[in-house]
Amino acid sequence: MNALRLIYHYLRIGVMNELQYQINFWLQLLQSSVALAVGLVGLSLVFQHTSDLAGWSRAELLAVMGVHILIGGVVAALIQPNMLRLMEDVKDGTLDFALLKPVEAQLLVSVREIRLWRLVDLVIGVVLLVVALLQLGGRLSPQALLIFGVALLCGVIMIYSFWLMLTCVAFWIVRVDEILNLFEGLYAAGRWPVGIYPGWLRAILTFLVPVAFAITVPAEALTGRLEVTTLALALALAGGLFTLARIVWRIGLRHYAGASA
Amino acid sequence: MSASAIQVTDLRKVYTVPEREAGLQAALRSLIRPRVREVQAVAGVSFQIAPGEIVGFLGPNGAGKTTTLKMLAGLLHPTSGEARVLGYVPHRRERAFLSQMTLVMGNRNQLQWDLPAADSFELQRAIYRIPPAEFRATRDAFIELMEVGSLISKPVRNLSLGERMKMEIIGALLHRPGLLFLDEPTIGLDVTMQRRIRNFIASYNQRYGATVMLTSHYMADVEALCRRVIVIHHGRVLYDGPLSGLVDRFATYRQISLSLSEPADLSAYGEVVANAGTRVTLRVPKAEISLLSARLLAEQSIADLTIEEPPIDDVIERVFATE
Repeated sequence: MNALRLIYHYLRIGVMNELQYQINFWLQLLQSSVALAVGLVGLSLVFQHTSDLAGWSRAELLAVMGVHILIGGVVAALIQPNMLRLMEDVKDGTLDFALLKPVEAQLLVSVREIRLWRLVDLVIGVVLLVVALLQLGGRLSPQALLIFGVALLCGVIMIYSFWLMLTCVAFWIVRVDEILNLFEGLYAAGRWPVGIYPGWLRAILTFLVPVAFAITVPAEALTGRLEVTTLALALALAGGLFTLARIVWRIGLRHYAGASA
Repeated sequence: MSASAIQVTDLRKVYTVPEREAGLQAALRSLIRPRVREVQAVAGVSFQIAPGEIVGFLGPNGAGKTTTLKMLAGLLHPTSGEARVLGYVPHRRERAFLSQMTLVMGNRNQLQWDLPAADSFELQRAIYRIPPAEFRATRDAFIELMEVGSLISKPVRNLSLGERMKMEIIGALLHRPGLLFLDEPTIGLDVTMQRRIRNFIASYNQRYGATVMLTSHYMADVEALCRRVIVIHHGRVLYDGPLSGLVDRFATYRQISLSLSEPADLSAYGEVVANAGTRVTLRVPKAEISLLSARLLAEQSIADLTIEEPPIDDVIERVFATE
């Protein structure tokens, strides 16, 4: 309960901060619209030449794109800003303040920042998913919706854990800005179902950077092609990555020495 | 709980720092085989601080002050030795321990930059789970004491350095900690601001019986607040005792201030520290003070002569310079 209260209070502060820069909302809207348009054009270009891509129809791929944008929005609004702040704090030694608070430090460093306007992508993602579902013509059973929700949550947990581990590298190597670009590049690959990629890349996207599980699996749930074993694997991977990230974080903290002596 | 608020026994901290010569070649070489060097930041420090005491923690830059404070606050693991703070082992960072202490760093800022300080205070309330009534009472009392009532709803970025520091201290004390680590709380502030903050610390200490450990480069802070000082240099305790004893122990000289009837060259008697025509200040060894004053009075035409202890920052400066 206290965790929720803490999240609420930081969210409140974050929103108040963001409301001061309302121009960013319009900029974000523009940026997201352009990205969406580019994505849609790409999709229609592909389907001028074929009617299915590795077994995925056009509407199904729209769903993949929806999940990609949705999770991308969550990453950009909540995960990435917190991890960037953590990196800065490790570099400048200001992590001290977070560590002095009588609350769980990992929770604290994960909820301090929010880029409110990036949540525009969350809305766009949901709209895309609704459109995709309508095109597929199927009605979504509450059960399928639940499974989709679970898969989505697993995906977010996996990406959060992955990010946290990447960020923890900052405890040893103080400058890690380059790592960000690495993630962005690989995340872009998640726009398409991982099944279309060659085996080696699929392996990377599945287990090294869990884009496959984070994006393709929820999309599979939505389009009724998810197998129980895949869902179980996603749950296990989410749990495993989260635990691993927590261990890495603990070790990193022990290594943290602050910037000034 | 033990009788002392802070108990430190033979505390050490060794940093491993990368070492590298200048130049591109050396930089490349260090990629393959990084060379490291061990630096003893704190080299076996022991002391005790009783509850309610205000202790000045003095030393030049790099003496190990901040490292010691950070170990006591639980931010750094000691390499060896033992620290007990409020009965806890700091680096375990138990919640009960963290809720009872605070660390203020004068050169760091933890308030929300774009928002009024009032919002940051709310956040502190949530983090420390301060009951609402207690929170309001404490906040209002502090605001009055610091005289910042009208500034509370201004965005922090629009406050002056001194105003910001006042808010910073209020925020750090809202949960009424019984133990304060203050690392240069008045750095960069003007004299009035420094005095106001000093008074605040003193009255907080009185009202709540809090233990305070203070580092400052301004001896005025230390003289106003601390009866006891711990001087640390090269990671070791050089002196631990009353502030007045520091002068007795380390000042090997006294100052003689003279008013002359007419200007004269007095450099034969001692080191001339200040010379403004007929007003001269001499620095002379403690042992020769009576002999020299007698000679001065006999040989010069003197309107007034006073013997003074040297200013305390002077003493400290000399201690650090000679070690």
